[in-house]
Amino acid sequence: MLDRRATFWVLYLPPLLWLGAFFVVPLILMAAFSFRADMRGEVLQWWTPTLKQYAGLFAAGSYWRLLGISAFMALIVALISTALAYPIAYFLAFRAGRRAGFYLVLLLVPFWTSYLLRVMAWKFMLGSNGVINSFLMYTGLIHEPLTALLYNRNAVVLTLIYVWIPFVALPIFAALQRIDLALFEAAADLGATPFRRFWRVTFPLSLPGVFAAFFMVFIPTVGEYVTPLLVGGSRGSMYGNIVQDFFTKAANWPLGSALSMIMLIATLALVALAVRIVDLRRLIE
Amino acid sequence: MIRALRLSTRTSGLMLILALVATACGGAAATPTQAPPTAVPPTEVPAAEMTGSLTVLDWAGYDAFDFWVDFQNTYPKVTVNFEIGASDADIYSKMKAGDQADIFHPYTGWLQFYVDEGLVEEIDTSRLTNWDKVPDSFKKIGQINGKQYFLPWDWGFTSILYRTDKIPEGVDSWAALMNPKFKGHVSTWDDGPGAVTVSAYIHGWDETKITPEQLATIKEEWIQQRDVNLFYWAGEPELVDAMANGDVWVAYAWQGAYATLLGQGVPVAYANPKEGRNSWVGVYGIRKGSQNYDLALKFFDAKLAAATGNNVVNLFYYGHSNQDVMNGITDATLKQAFSIDDPTILQKTNFTPNLTAEQLDAWTAMWAEVKAAP
Repeated sequence: MLDRRATFWVLYLPPLLWLGAFFVVPLILMAAFSFRADMRGEVLQWWTPTLKQYAGLFAAGSYWRLLGISAFMALIVALISTALAYPIAYFLAFRAGRRAGFYLVLLLVPFWTSYLLRVMAWKFMLGSNGVINSFLMYTGLIHEPLTALLYNRNAVVLTLIYVWIPFVALPIFAALQRIDLALFEAAADLGATPFRRFWRVTFPLSLPGVFAAFFMVFIPTVGEYVTPLLVGGSRGSMYGNIVQDFFTKAANWPLGSALSMIMLIATLALVALAVRIVDLRRLIE
Repeated sequence: MIRALRLSTRTSGLMLILALVATACGGAAATPTQAPPTAVPPTEVPAAEMTGSLTVLDWAGYDAFDFWVDFQNTYPKVTVNFEIGASDADIYSKMKAGDQADIFHPYTGWLQFYVDEGLVEEIDTSRLTNWDKVPDSFKKIGQINGKQYFLPWDWGFTSILYRTDKIPEGVDSWAALMNPKFKGHVSTWDDGPGAVTVSAYIHGWDETKITPEQLATIKEEWIQQRDVNLFYWAGEPELVDAMANGDVWVAYAWQGAYATLLGQGVPVAYANPKEGRNSWVGVYGIRKGSQNYDLALKFFDAKLAAATGNNVVNLFYYGHSNQDVMNGITDATLKQAFSIDDPTILQKTNFTPNLTAEQLDAWTAMWAEVKAAP
């Protein structure tokens, strides 16, 4: 019994300490900073809690609107990348056969280059001298380069979908692989058409993977700031850009922290709502 | 057992979601890197034998050997470590959070904060052999409350940079950044105080005394400006690329971008707006409490020396505070970049004043609201 306890602590203490020091403590610090009036004085001193930052945020309507837009963009990105990744995962799980490992490596090849470089590559694709415009000009379909391709919210959504697809395919692939093939035979024996078999057996059984994939995209995308910075242009900013600006351009940690807390709470609320709607518990059981 | 297992699956699922939610919100808070303070060696050792180490918090690119070559040659056994700051706000935040760098590199606008917060040590200029090569006007920029806290080092203009082939009629005012004629071909710097400065020039307002009403007007102006603005640039290379490929015709720009584009053969000109150009100065400060104060002074003196200064001029196309270096410029492109042959430009130039904490908060919030506006 003692051995089991010892094993438990040996296994769980390091990750717990790591998460505690680098996740929980910073989170608490951020929450504390959001109740600070300004940055004057020592960084770690006692301060009188104030709601000044939150009051300012409630007065400025534009931040709330931007949070809504960012959540909506995240929803679109999560829906489309999950839908596009599903066939890839399906192919890997059921059609690739012995080559599945090879294709999986192919899928992961983009991760060998940095995220920043892959986003930068989209500038070369979409720019006015970029691949798409050059091709269209060459074929004579257009005479002036299309400027609507880059530096707007659509470019941000497009780039994010591209970036997420390989990630998203993985949890779906894992869920599909777990399905017992005997179930397909049973369905066929009972006279189900291939489409019906997919719709009534495969798809419902893969749903935990699909939801995992969806949230894996949705949650980080709400706070995205790198992609809009590079391809978003003057009107493509997301909520994450504003948070980042208050930390790195304004040296205003209290306001940045308050904005972050609002996003944390809003995202948690959205996820809780989604979990309730799709009844995740039933799916996992 | 199965129940327990299920429960733990559910709990860990919740933990995962929590972790992911927090990831969405994270990433912004930077942890400062700590450099252990090193002991000061006895100062009477010959320069070539002197050991020790200095940590400099600087901007990316300034860590290149070229920009401290004189120090390296004189004190080859002293180790110089660099930490990189992304912006003035970033450098200030790092220093405030207790960064242990001995030396840091802020720009005009941000100097008062370091003095108010007790983060910077006064410089003993009597120990700088190159100090008399610095013009008084520059020395004054490094003085706060009558004390020399900062060493003026690099400087340059900010003005409107434009493509002469796209705008043959030229640009004569800062208002060009808002001109609908250039819709989709304008790029301005991603910076609130920078935007306030431009608006103040256009309206002829005193930028040190912007009222809340004026700030509201400025906010509206820049919200409208997004119709003509293609993107906000964050770093010079981004702007240089977009001007070279013809996406951007008119931009708020430092002269480094101007000189780079001239060097690439791109047809550009650097405007002399009727409101005057803007000019900024980069300075170095010594962290209060640094145990390497003596070594830092030696570093400062070497920063002012000729070889280092010439590299700033020739590699970055920025000015240097050593007047001998500036007087020695013969290259035509550089002369043009610094407007050396036209002293009237410098007389009309507006130097960046120091921000107050209230201005910084109000102006950066204004800029965030511009970006967040519908």
